[in-house]
Amino acid sequence: MSTKTILCIEDDRFIGEMYIRSLKKAGYEIDWVVDGNDGLVAARNKSYDVILLDIMLPERHGTEILEALRGGKEDLIPKSYVIVLTNFQQDDQSRIAMEKYADAYLIKAEITPKKLISIIEKIQD
Amino acid sequence: MEIKKGPQIASQFWPEFIKQKIVLIIVSQIIISIAVGCLIILSGFLAIGSIGFWLILGGFFVINLATELLIVISATRPTKDLLAAIINVSGEKSTLTPPNPNTKEYEKTGFRDALQKIYELSSVKDKQKTDESEKKDDNQELSIIEALNTTICGFITLDKNRQVIYANKPAPIHTNVDGIKIIDLLFNGNDTLDSWLDSCEEHSVHDEHVWTRIPDRLPNEEGRRFFDVIASYQKGSTAETVLTLIDRTKSYIVDEENLDFISFAAHELRGPITVIRGYLDVLGDELADVLVDDQSELFHRLVVSSNRLSGYIDNILNTSRYDRRHLKMNLAEDKISTIYDTISDDMKLRAGAQNRILNVDLPTKLPTVAADRASIGQVFGNLIDNAIKYSRDGGSVNVTAKQNGNFVDVSVTDNGIGMPESVVSQLFQKFYRSHRSRESVAGTGIGLYISKAIVESNGGTISVRSEDGKGSVFTVSLPIYSTVADKLLASNNSNVGLISEGNGWIKNHSMYRS
Repeated sequence: MSTKTILCIEDDRFIGEMYIRSLKKAGYEIDWVVDGNDGLVAARNKSYDVILLDIMLPERHGTEILEALRGGKEDLIPKSYVIVLTNFQQDDQSRIAMEKYADAYLIKAEITPKKLISIIEKIQD
Repeated sequence: MEIKKGPQIASQFWPEFIKQKIVLIIVSQIIISIAVGCLIILSGFLAIGSIGFWLILGGFFVINLATELLIVISATRPTKDLLAAIINVSGEKSTLTPPNPNTKEYEKTGFRDALQKIYELSSVKDKQKTDESEKKDDNQELSIIEALNTTICGFITLDKNRQVIYANKPAPIHTNVDGIKIIDLLFNGNDTLDSWLDSCEEHSVHDEHVWTRIPDRLPNEEGRRFFDVIASYQKGSTAETVLTLIDRTKSYIVDEENLDFISFAAHELRGPITVIRGYLDVLGDELADVLVDDQSELFHRLVVSSNRLSGYIDNILNTSRYDRRHLKMNLAEDKISTIYDTISDDMKLRAGAQNRILNVDLPTKLPTVAADRASIGQVFGNLIDNAIKYSRDGGSVNVTAKQNGNFVDVSVTDNGIGMPESVVSQLFQKFYRSHRSRESVAGTGIGLYISKAIVESNGGTISVRSEDGKGSVFTVSLPIYSTVADKLLASNNSNVGLISEGNGWIKNHSMYRS
């Protein structure tokens, strides 16, 4: 596998470090930011293969980031796959926007790092 | 004692009377004719033996008799009509036709007024009579309505079109813009008043049904009440369905508030669980060669426990969603074995850690089912978890599947403590826990409640057979995909192209991008 680049936008330190640790081990190159504004900037400045996006973020929610990146006329991150990772399962409201703009929507508590890696591999196939 | 002869009722009077009069006329005509005959003979005008004598006498008799009869009939006509009218208004049965006061003849003679008077008198009398009984009924009804409005129970009656014909004050009812009364009861899942009435209309003459813990509003709405609802159905009755609602808000609301709180807490708990499960996953690999003796077994227990914790949280969240009417199922074609695969490792580990033997035999040739993979996996997990919990150390838990008509039945069998019949009927109620399990086994009493809710939301059923002291069999029946495919494709287009992954999903890009 050639090195793939991943942006992780996650404010929980334990969870963030956990993903970094196992993804690095699996050979990915990974950047990690902890708030929504930095996340949006990072996603626009560099073309990542995969973006791991939390929803409940300080400064700017994950849904807003997604809107900003893909809600306009032009898809600002055409080469990236966006995997939304959240523990706050929605009851339908922003589900439609999610299905439109995200490539996967996962419940963190169900996704162990090993599983996440297998999904990242699957999604790029 | 004198025996009364002659007519006993009014309608018998007229035939008797007219018969007597006709006899009288005939007799009097015979006498008159004899007298006339005598006069003719005495005057010497005709001899008794001559034909002329008999012709004249016979003609005289016949003409006189006919004339007199005609006069009598027409003279007694008003009497006959008056009698018929009286008999008619008295309600007595009679062969006499009641006279019509509006005939031309009566109009001309003025007899119409007399007849009309009789009919009028009778209707006034009738009205008085009805008024009196109505007044009596009204009084009684008012006092009943007042009594019903001051009870704490709700009463609703429905006609055969399921329209509300009566509802007392405490009944949860609102009137919509069209002025139709609507019952505010939020039934859960498929067990609704309408579905029960559907089955009543089809199969029953009389039936009864009870629902417990039925709210009238959604959780966030003010003044929410909870009822136990008792319904009785009687085919053909004016009030075909009678609902009695017992307000149990006080005892149920505590649980509901707890559940709301727990739902918030559950979302919070998912954070730490993510970390625990995640690091166990990472460390499992990294420590695999380092752990010695029973350390790897202890490590397994950590994994099992964190997985169970995660499952319980899903139960709580789904219960909360279900009660808020937000539980959504994304039904898709799936194999029972594929669904089971999503929990297989976890179950193996769980059974092993608790020293139970788990035998899974799911034939691959079974037809596919329509199911929401994550939640049906959760149901299987709940049933196996229960089987482990309620069986003995070293006991076995069997998971089997077979086709049953249009359904695939998946059974979880244990040889554990089982339960008596009295417990079985209440098993799927929220927060229900048998006395015995309260004392000896930990639990919340929502596992089976949410399992039933999920299975029914998948269009399936869940059932249980149990023998006290010998064990239980829980069976989940899920519809075979081909039997419901048309319906699903028509109603569920939103999920095309999404592959379910736990409670989340992954987009199937082969369908979207080149």
